[in-house]
Amino acid sequence: MRTKTVVRIGALVAAASVVAGLTGCSAQSSGSGSSDAASGTYTFWDPYPQYDASSAWGKLVAQCGTEAGVTVKRTGYDTSDLTNKALLAGQQGKSPDVLLVDNPVVSTLAQSGILTDTATSGLETGDIAENILGAGVIDGKTYGVPIGANTLALYYNPKVLEAAGVDPSSVQDWDSLTAALAKVKAAGKKGITFSGINTEEGSFQFLPWFWGADADLTKLDSAKAEEALDLWKGWIDEGYAPNSVIQNTQTTSWQEFQSGDFAFGENGTWQKDAAKEMGAGVITIPAKDGGAAPVPTGGEFFTIPVQKDDARYATTKKIVECLSSGDNVVKTDNTLNYIAASKDLQQQQLSGNADLKTWVEAVGAARARTGDNLGVKYPVISEQLWTAVQKAESGSASPSDALQAAQQAVDDKLQK
Amino acid sequence: MATTTVTRAVTTRTARGGRPRTTGTPPAAKRWWRTVLGVVFTAVMLFPVYWMVNVSLTRDQDMRKSPPNLIPIDGTLHGYSTVLGQQLPFLGTSLVVGLGTVVLTLALSAPAAYSLAKLGPRGGGAMSFVLLIAQMIPAIIMAMGFYTIYVQLGILDTIWGLVLADSTIAVPFGVLIFTAFMRGIPDELLNAARIDGASTWRTFTAVVMPVSRNSVVTVSLFSFLWAWSDFLFANTLDGGGAAKPITLGIYAYIGNNNQEWNSIMATAVVASIPAAVLLVLAQRYVAAGVTAGAVKD
Amino acid sequence: MTTDTTSLRPSAARPRAEDTSSSARSRRAHAQRRAQLTAWAFLAPVALYLVLFYAYPLWKNIELSLKHYTVASFVSGNAPFVGLQNFVDVFSSSTFAPAIWHTAVFVLVSILVQFALGLALAVFFHNHFPLSGLLRALFLVPWLLPLLVSASTWSWMMNSDSGIVNAFLESVGIGQINWLTSPDWSLFAVLVANIWIGIPFNLVIMYSGLQGIPGELYEAASLDGANGWQRFWRITFPLLRPVTAITLLLGFVYTLKVFDIIWIMTKGGPSGSSTTLAIWSYQLGFGSLLPDFSSAATVGNVLIVIALVVGLIYARVQRRLEV
Repeated sequence: MRTKTVVRIGALVAAASVVAGLTGCSAQSSGSGSSDAASGTYTFWDPYPQYDASSAWGKLVAQCGTEAGVTVKRTGYDTSDLTNKALLAGQQGKSPDVLLVDNPVVSTLAQSGILTDTATSGLETGDIAENILGAGVIDGKTYGVPIGANTLALYYNPKVLEAAGVDPSSVQDWDSLTAALAKVKAAGKKGITFSGINTEEGSFQFLPWFWGADADLTKLDSAKAEEALDLWKGWIDEGYAPNSVIQNTQTTSWQEFQSGDFAFGENGTWQKDAAKEMGAGVITIPAKDGGAAPVPTGGEFFTIPVQKDDARYATTKKIVECLSSGDNVVKTDNTLNYIAASKDLQQQQLSGNADLKTWVEAVGAARARTGDNLGVKYPVISEQLWTAVQKAESGSASPSDALQAAQQAVDDKLQK
Repeated sequence: MATTTVTRAVTTRTARGGRPRTTGTPPAAKRWWRTVLGVVFTAVMLFPVYWMVNVSLTRDQDMRKSPPNLIPIDGTLHGYSTVLGQQLPFLGTSLVVGLGTVVLTLALSAPAAYSLAKLGPRGGGAMSFVLLIAQMIPAIIMAMGFYTIYVQLGILDTIWGLVLADSTIAVPFGVLIFTAFMRGIPDELLNAARIDGASTWRTFTAVVMPVSRNSVVTVSLFSFLWAWSDFLFANTLDGGGAAKPITLGIYAYIGNNNQEWNSIMATAVVASIPAAVLLVLAQRYVAAGVTAGAVKD
Repeated sequence: MTTDTTSLRPSAARPRAEDTSSSARSRRAHAQRRAQLTAWAFLAPVALYLVLFYAYPLWKNIELSLKHYTVASFVSGNAPFVGLQNFVDVFSSSTFAPAIWHTAVFVLVSILVQFALGLALAVFFHNHFPLSGLLRALFLVPWLLPLLVSASTWSWMMNSDSGIVNAFLESVGIGQINWLTSPDWSLFAVLVANIWIGIPFNLVIMYSGLQGIPGELYEAASLDGANGWQRFWRITFPLLRPVTAITLLLGFVYTLKVFDIIWIMTKGGPSGSSTTLAIWSYQLGFGSLLPDFSSAATVGNVLIVIALVVGLIYARVQRRLEV
């Protein structure tokens, strides 16, 4: 009995060591890239864990590295983890060479001091559209270049609208949208779905309506802001929007739309292929009194973190420019379902795919969330905004009370 | 009161492999009724697991159907084909990490427990208390601390680093289980070995460990399962690359704007199967014997 | 878990003869010192392990809470020492009282229900019937699943519109309940999920505890005419008291830390109705685009202190029971 247990444990240890040795070897051959000499390994972090080394994106990154004369070690992280990983790495002096992050985070990272500005890194911003570049500009300095932009629009299901007798082109402003939703509900279908969750996604989805009422992020308790929140609350109360919006992520909301019961679904550029497959159409989100509502820009930025050895910046710049300009970025943007960041490249995309017209227009009218010099104030405001939206949606506070509390909280926090 | 009988019962029970004596055999009909009830309870308990399998076979457009399908009619095997095509190497990594954690946990906790239970070190009580406090630290704080240490030591993204981190979940608990069990080992057994001239270490390996077989299995099982399903440490300390455990493999389907739920659930199902098999095989031996020391008053 | 170790010193260290001569005394002292060294040699690896891997993160966390860190000073490392200011801010925050309340409800209800169900199931499975071994093993399957998956599955099941739970409730006549999106139900929903996840652990420990009770006691009792219920309350439950105590204590410590389940299901919402201290800590540090590590660490420390206090109470109660 004793010998058997010992032998069993011994065998396990042996087996584990052999397997571990084999796999451990391959894991350890990475080395610590950041401190290598200029012609060595460059580390690259991006928020695309769904693309591995064999994907088109993975191969493109490797290729740009080879063209710059170095090997690129790329790691994909979940986008919500990336900020903290970047901060922790920066604290330890082990920042990656290239860091691709979601645009509202750029100002936070810039303020923490881990990013170089274009003056230091030599990165060229060229003819990137100003409204898209906006998220990377803090106090007059630019801290990165966008890989592309995506934004929000209103997808609609033609079958449901037809059954309810609604013409999609009649949706011009808030009143006509609400009227359309009423008709759809009367026809026995569901009205609209969106994401009203208590994360940045919720704020992202609320902003077109917030800005569409001409409200200002620095005044959350204004009457205009209240109108926007009243709109959403009204839809939930009337049953035009389902209760699940309180908990929906954008993906979940899209899945609801895909089930075919909904007339409208607010979602982003990245779903355009899936939308085409299901036969859905798209219109711009209406502003309160007509016209297209300003929509927030989504999409990631290439940033170059500070390194101890600044001789590395020259090579890093080459890698970033290889990935962010010309045919490479058009290909990437088409894969990611983003719109390119400069007018010329947008034309290139359009010539390849005329369906992108609505999206190119939307992106042209889009605004950066951290723009207007909101910078690091935006995360504080955004958190209070999504909290207020949730309170109103779930009925635990009236829209005006919720927004007033939100503005109060923002003032308190920003004073500290 | 019944100390001697209890001690005898403990010894014979452990020698026989932990199968307890029942309070007599009830009539056959009563036993089958219990089986039915047991199946019902298990079915209710495992319903969410069934639901997970259901979602793994659901098409994207049916994900939010209201009301949802109880059985995946119009199912899709897309999730499984992606998983089996991409995730199998990660199962291997998970297995290595799990086994490594078991070995490390046993190696650390068994001797320490023996000391606390039988060798009376001065300050042993304080040590036990410190081990309890160690379990109170929220995992995220541990993970951030480890990140700093690992980055300095350069062992980020290594399997051994992950084994070390995962063992911190299991070691305090392992010491607790072993201590409680070893306290119940009769001193006569140890004295007999000592009279025969055995050193403390030899007594430990030749007498104590074999008798503690059930606690070994229990601690092994707990540490393996905790390491197998760990996500936080793997995420913080083993960001990517080829050698990541299956829990991180799930990330392949969590893009920045889109999540493929059928693939995510399929990964979970595939990840659960080996562990479930292990569980069914090992459950016979799981007997922490936590009461052994306590009944002895 | 007792803190008394005097009764466990190996008898070999105590010499047989009642010799009080000085050489015998020094021999005894020498032998005792050697025994202590051996004892500590066995403990040393774990002691070292504790210092390296627990003390460091804990110290880092305390340091984070005693200084005021912004993202900039987090990276550069020089943050001003602010003493207990962070703690004052946390205690005076409007989230603090609700968080404490939610934590208390969440933890106490979780551990009591998990324990009760785990014990009931353990007693049920203790009477061996066909398939009992297999079914008991299957009960542990929820434990295997990564929390991300279990929590997501419960999220799906409890979805207001497309969840199976509401579909079932509607089919039996009760209307739709907004499990995760209503401030009234969110805490209850995460409680249910947490209890489900905690039952396997309780089942395993209580079952092995039951196995430690000798069958003779039951036989003697049934000979005396005791029925099942009496056997449980007079024999089983009292003898299980130490196991119960340790299970509840561990349950308390583990449940206090619970975060994944709540975060994935409700993110602490809506409007903070399911925010516990652990969730609040994570929200401050990782839940917004602008991490506030100092406050997160402070809330984390409050959590640890609460667990510590309960641990001390447990040790005190244990000592009194031992006497």
